[in-house]
Parts: sequence; C-alpha cells; structure tokens
Amino acid sequence: MNNNIGVYICHCGGNISDYVDVEKVKQAIATEEGVTLAKTTIFACADSNQKEMVEDIRQQHLNGVVVASCSPKLHQITFRAVTERAGLNKYNYVHANIREQVSWAHSDNKPGATEKAIHIVKAAIAKVRYAKSLDPIIIQSQKAVAIIGAGIAGMKAAIQLANMGCPVYLIEREYFVGGRVAQWDSLSTSSETGKQIITRLYQELIKHNTITLFTGAEISSYSGSIGDFHLKVNIKPRYINQQCNEGGLQKAIDVCPVILPDEFNFNITNRKAIYHNFPSEYPQLPVVDMVHCNRCGECLKICGAIDLDQKDELLDIHVGSILMATGFDPYTPIDGEFGYNQINNVITLPQFQRLINLNEKKLIFNEKEIRHIAYIYCVGSRQPEGENKYCSRYCCTTTIHIANVTRRKFKEINNYHFTRGVRTYGKQETLYRESLANGDVFLQSYEDDLPVVTSEDGKTIVKINDILTMKKSMEIEADLVVLVTGMVPRAENSIGALFKLPKGRDKFFNEIHMKLRPVETVIDGITISGACQGPKNVTEAINSALSAATKSFSYVSKGELELEPIIARIEKDACTWCGACANVCPYDAIRIENDGQKEYAVINNAVCKGCGMCLPVCPTDAIDLTAYSNSEIESMIDALAQD
Amino acid sequence: MARIDTKFGVKLKKYGAVDFTACYNCGNCTAVCSLSTQDNSIPRDMVRYSVLGLQDDLKASLKPWLCYYCGECTAHCPQTANPGELMMALRRWLTSKYDWTGLSGLLYRSLPLTLLFFLLTALSVLIFAICKDFNLETIMHYGHYFEMGAIGAVFLIILLPNIIRMWWFVILKPKIKVTLKTYFKSIGELIVHMFTQKRSLSCDENKFRWFEHFILVIGYLMLLFTTVFLDWFSAKNLFVIVLGYVESMVILIVTVDFVMTRIKKSREVGKFSQPSDWFFVIWLFLLGTTALFVRVFIDLHILEFHIWLYLFHLTVLAQWAIIIVPFGKWTHFLYRSFAMYFEKLKETQYHEPTI
Repeated sequence: MNNNIGVYICHCGGNISDYVDVEKVKQAIATEEGVTLAKTTIFACADSNQKEMVEDIRQQHLNGVVVASCSPKLHQITFRAVTERAGLNKYNYVHANIREQVSWAHSDNKPGATEKAIHIVKAAIAKVRYAKSLDPIIIQSQKAVAIIGAGIAGMKAAIQLANMGCPVYLIEREYFVGGRVAQWDSLSTSSETGKQIITRLYQELIKHNTITLFTGAEISSYSGSIGDFHLKVNIKPRYINQQCNEGGLQKAIDVCPVILPDEFNFNITNRKAIYHNFPSEYPQLPVVDMVHCNRCGECLKICGAIDLDQKDELLDIHVGSILMATGFDPYTPIDGEFGYNQINNVITLPQFQRLINLNEKKLIFNEKEIRHIAYIYCVGSRQPEGENKYCSRYCCTTTIHIANVTRRKFKEINNYHFTRGVRTYGKQETLYRESLANGDVFLQSYEDDLPVVTSEDGKTIVKINDILTMKKSMEIEADLVVLVTGMVPRAENSIGALFKLPKGRDKFFNEIHMKLRPVETVIDGITISGACQGPKNVTEAINSALSAATKSFSYVSKGELELEPIIARIEKDACTWCGACANVCPYDAIRIENDGQKEYAVINNAVCKGCGMCLPVCPTDAIDLTAYSNSEIESMIDALAQD
Repeated sequence: MARIDTKFGVKLKKYGAVDFTACYNCGNCTAVCSLSTQDNSIPRDMVRYSVLGLQDDLKASLKPWLCYYCGECTAHCPQTANPGELMMALRRWLTSKYDWTGLSGLLYRSLPLTLLFFLLTALSVLIFAICKDFNLETIMHYGHYFEMGAIGAVFLIILLPNIIRMWWFVILKPKIKVTLKTYFKSIGELIVHMFTQKRSLSCDENKFRWFEHFILVIGYLMLLFTTVFLDWFSAKNLFVIVLGYVESMVILIVTVDFVMTRIKKSREVGKFSQPSDWFFVIWLFLLGTTALFVRVFIDLHILEFHIWLYLFHLTVLAQWAIIIVPFGKWTHFLYRSFAMYFEKLKETQYHEPTI
C-alpha cells in the first residue's frame, strides 16, 4: 500500500481551469489518505514542471504519483517517463483525465465539473495506493523468419532479411518461384520483363546461405506465438532427381500422353504432366504433376532421372516471426459477364498478357488475326452490385501499357478502351499520354450504364453510351474483347484460416492500422506484405515487402522480446477448469494444463494482451489482471461513488 | 448507333490537324472559349467527334464555322492537343465535303497537284497571249471579259451547288423543318455576317484583327466591283481611279500584315499554316499589288512597254479565280456567313413552339 503519494492538478492553460476550480480540487484531495503532496500547475507537461516533479519524487521519496490533466492517450507515456527518470517504477504512476472527460464535456456546468474532477482524481489516488512496481515480461525469440510465398514480395523480403543477417525459410506452394510476376512479360514503366526481374531476384537469393527455399511446400499445422512459432511443412517431391542426359528430359515431356490446360498461361495453352512453365524458369528442374500423372511409364523409358516413387517430406521449422506474401488471384468473370465464356473471343487481361507474349509478328487468337481490340475496364473491381467495391489499382496502367506494347509488337492494331475513368496515377500518366498520341480511343461510362458485348452474325460488337460524347450510343466491331480483371484474394487461402488471420471487407488480409501499422496483423509476430493484403502493383508490393521484412526482423533481432507486464494471471488453486475463459479469449492465450492432480488454465504471457475479457466469466474468480486487480478497481469505484 | 472509325483521324491530319488524339476530355478548351455557349458548346465535342471519326455528325454540324480561331483553347490545352488547329482542319475538310467536284479535297491534300494546277493556269495565260501576238489591247479586252465570265461561271457551276450541298448536309438530311417564312426572316443574318464577320468580335482580344479582316473584305469586294463593273483599268473618271488605288492599297497593307503574322507565327492562328493558307494570303497580296502597279503603269503611259506586268496580273487573277476562289480558302467567306444563316434557321426552329 503506497502512502506517500504526490498529486498534480493541471490547468492546461485554461482548458481545464476555465471550467474546473482546480484550487478547490487540490484542497479536496490534499487530505486523502496517503497523499503527502498536492500541487496545481499551469502546464503539467511543460519541461519546468516535469523537472519539478522529478525533484519532488526524489526528495520526498514519493511511491505513488497522479497527474490530473488530459487524456492518457496524450501524456500517460510522458509522465511515466518522468517517474522513471526520478527512479520510480513507471507503473506507480496513475493518470486522471479531467480535460476530455470533465472540463470539455461539462463546460456548461462549472460546479458540477469541479465535483466530477474531484471524484476522478480521488479514484486515481485510490488506484495508485495499490500500484506495484512491475517489470516487462521477457520472452525468448527464435532468430529466424518464415516467409510464406516466393513471389516477388516474398523473394524481396527474404533477401532483405538475409542481408540483415536473419535466417529465412522461404516456403512456396508452387514448384517454381516468381508467382504472378513471372507470368507477366513486359512490365509498365520498367525496361525489364517480369521474368528478368524474377531471375535477378533468384540469382541474388541463392547467394545467401541463410535462405532456405522450399518449393511444392505447404504448411500443414502451426503452434506457438510471437518469438516461438513451430510450423510443420509438407514438401512434395519433384519426382525428378537431376537433369537428364542431353535433351532427354524434353523428350520425356514430349512423350507424356497427359494433356492439361496450362495454368501458367491462364489456360489458353496446354501442358503435359511433366512440365516447366518457361525454359529459363527457377528452379530449373521440371516437375511431374502427380495429381494428373497416369503412371504410364513412357517417360521412365527415356529418362532415368525420373523417379515416380519419391515421397513427401515433413519438416519442423522453428521461427520467431512469420511473413505472409501469398499474393492474389486475377478475378474470374462470371459466365456471361461481358460475354465471358459465351462469346469465344472474350478473354481476360492476364490471358491477353500471355497471348501477346506467346505470339510473334502476328497476333492470332482462335486462328484469326487480331486488329481491333476492345478493353473493358473495372471487371471485378468497383462493382456496382457485386462485393468487390475496391479499385484494383494496377489495371488501368497495365491495360494501357499492354495496349501500347501490342501496338509496338504487332501491325495495324486499333485499341478501344471502355473505361470508367482512367486512373494512371503518378509517373504512369505518361503511358496514358503515349496511348492517346498513338490514337487509342477512350470511351467512358458510369457504373449504371456499362458497355454491352454481343455477338451478331458471328461478329463481336461492343456498345456503349459514351459519357464523353454526350452519352451518344456508339459501337465497334472487336476481333478480341479483353476484360480488364482486377485482383481478388487467393481462391485457395486456407493458410489464412490456419493462422486465423483477420480479413477485411474486401476479403484480403487485414493490417492493424492502414496508415500507422500497415504490415502488422492482430496476431503478434505475423506480418503481411504484397497483394495478399490488397491490390498492389510491383512497386507497391516491394515497398510493403521491405516494410514487413523490417517489422518481422524487429521481433527476432535481439533473440528476446520485451512485453508489457499488464496481463491476466490465474491462481492455479482457485481454478477448476471450466474453459469459459479460453472460450472468450480473443487472442487464444489461454490453454489447459494438467499437472497430474488437476486440470487448470494457463495464460500464454507472450500472447495475452491484458484485455480483461476472461475476468468476468470466471465462476471461481481465479483470474486477476495485473495493475487492475479487484482491490484496485473496487477502491476506485468506492472513490467515484463517494458523496 | 454510330460506328467508331479511327481512320478518319489519319485522314484529318492531311487537312492540317495535329495531335488532337492527345485530348483527355478535360473540357478546358470549351471553358475558355468566348464563343462557346451552353446550347452550342465548342470545341471539345468537335475534338471528340474527330477522335471517334463520326463523319456524319461532323458533316451535319455547323460548329467548325462558329469558331474564329482566337487560339485561346490551344493556349490552355494541358495536353497540347491543339483544338484550335483541329477546328481549322475541320473547316478545310468540310469545304472539301461541300464541294461536289471533289477537287477541293484533292488540292487540300496534295501540294504537288495544287502547284501543277497553278502552273497549268499560268501556261494557259501564256499560250493565250502568244495566240494574241502579245497585243496588249486585245489581251486586256479579253482579260476584262474573263473576269466577268469567271465570276459568273464559278458562282453558278461551283459555289451555288456547293452551298446547296451544305444546306442538304446541315438542314435537309438531319430533317430539320424550317418554314419558308423563317428563310426570309433570317436572310439579314446572312448579309450582316457576310460583310462584317460580326461574330468574331466576341472573341477576346481580337478587335484589331477583326478590323483588319473587315477592311480587307470590304476593300477586296469593292476592288472586284471597281475592276469588273467600273472597268478601273479603262476608267477616265478620277473618283473611280482614286477609289481603285485606295482599295488596292488596303489589300496590299493588310495582306502584308497577315503574311508577316504567318511568318513570325506571332498569333495562334498563324502557327500552323497549310499551303492553302499561304496561297490565299499571298495571292490576295499579289492580286492587289499587281492591280495597283498595272494602274500606275497605265497612268504613267508605260504599260505598252511592260506588257509582262499585265500578263503577270492576269496570271495571278486567273489562278485566283479558277483555283483559290472555287476550291481554295476563299470559300470560307461564303461558308462562314451561310453557316451563321443556317444556324439562325436551326435556332429559330428549335425555339418556335410546335403546334
């Protein structure tokens, strides 16, 4: 019980003292039990007052301090620091808010305001009497980071972490690295292609021996918390041991009788059950798609390096932080959306990107040479009725860039852009300018009057009431209609459910604070980056990857973590394990333990946030919250309820 | 339902249009245009029609003629899409569309062909002079008849049918019903605009240019009248002689200033001169100047010894009368004023209550 308490009552210029009689407050609390010092001050936060407080605490050996001033959000940290400077533990400080909660709220009733201020300060004094010195909780943190997804964000984050001296496990579900960016050929405002950028990153990545790359790998389970995550990783084999003798592997691919749609090319071409996506791809060893392989054995006759009996491997990984970089899927239009899947020359932007990459000299689709291309924007984004209300950010720029590339690569191309307003922000505006100079036609409509794609006598017609031409009805005959599809979260996103990562309304993973904590999640130790968080272009994905890498590194760099000591504590003897606390805990911090004699609840100190949700549900009152014990709260209530 | 035709833009470039596809439809041009009104806004919609190649809409529109090229739109265009020059190109294109012979379009699009026509005309004059043994009196006599004949023929065979075609494009084809009474009541509009170009006075900071243009038109029309009907070159009446001098001086001074504007590119209107623009101002200058000197030589009694001067004048006159007037820039004099007249008809029609 602290009995040498100093109380400071702040005027806040006049913000408080204009409505609250601070002298009267001082007099009223000066006689409270344990108060040995009561002062008023014009600005409690002023340097001079802080110095005075430090001297008071030192000279009078105060063991409890209260400042009655503004919101604790503003200055609690300031005054905790003051007590620390004076050699008093910062948890022996209690903040009383008599500005936001009193003077500003009751400017119409000065006597009432003063009355309320007295009660609030008395409650703070009541709490500080019970205050105890607390030390931060120190937990060990495993110096390693697991990165989920080896796309451009994951690869860049891995390199960044390795450069900082941190061991990295880079875990990729697919058999090849590079994710979506490897699928794009020409990238806007960059002279390098997606493949070149990925190759460059891969070369850099393999130079670091602290990076362990797993392909064909999926996380089957996880346990633990910040600083101490345990992951079980299931690694599928490639079924090929090493490169075959000269060209043998290609012959093996050629004889494979299984023909499948090639997802790398968004199903506009086919592949075999033995495949690689493109010749210079990394890792360079092809892979057998065991889901579709019919084990006919034709390939085995040609190449001895193929071994269809390889088994899955299960690895345990121990890391201090997890960095999510699982990327996105392109939106798949529903059947009949702008003729998709009903008119045979309606394709999506990713398909078109693969198409112009695969074609040389002449642009051919469905055996027909393409001259007139209609691009319909905002398909799957900014939906008037669907769930995707967001803008996918990358699509205007990419479409215009691809339209420009198509013009350069093929002859006599006419581009018609059916937009809902062009958003080529920043430097990307120059691409828009270039396309206008090229003679690309831009038409625009609102969301309530979208363009219509119809098939008339074998011709594909796109119609629009163009708001840039006084809503005049206009049409073109298109050889190819490209639906500019936005980004959506991965369809197979079970990894998010495994980690219980919260999602936003857009179904992408959610950060804690869009502006101030953009890569942290509510699961301590798990950061997010790249397009798994929401639509991003390459630049933006890299920015967030570097940011998440730095954040994840901060969790593991010291090998230990200091955590706030205000957490729930369970009295083992009183606990009867009913499970009520574990059910309400929003952080999954309570688990059952059995010492052979009884079952009881245990708090994971690293995960508990001290929210107090478990306290009221405990039937035996076995849980107490540090710094908010029952005696503290009850004495505060008594003080507030006093006449 | 209109079909988009991007080839039209390529075609329009041959008529002098530049960079107009850069337009991103901000509408600054329309906002700064002092002639644009709520009901009749220019020039953004014309840029739009051109980008989309809506030729039928363009042919039915009088809007290109409602612009007098102050250049404000071009100066304020953030995309340097040059809407002012596009309007100029549209006027050239419309001229070629109104012309039933199609020669207008050919000449606008091809400089070599234009030069060939000028050369052939000059040769004809030379052959004619050879036939007449360089007899000054005979040549001048026929020259005078040629003037009268050319005016009548060009008007009846070329200009009148073209005006009728214009009427067909803008009134009849779009099925705008105009009563006979309205045709008569609005005729004043035609006369006023033909002789004064009143509308261009509304352009900002354009008063001096309007005045120059005004006295040039009046000077030109009066010189035409003086030479053709008062037979200036044979006149004995002092008033007629002096009148002719004044008129040709006016033409000389104003055309020199106009040519200088185009050389120095000091005004927006002179920055993108097409061959047709050069021919128009230079030949008008030559016309006035040679007429002036012919009369000076007559008054000094030395024309007999300098018959080349009259032949040069006759050549310029012939090229003017059978190339520039029917197929060149001269026609804007007619189309602009008729455009104002037809616009008045449309306006009256829209505002008359339907019974």
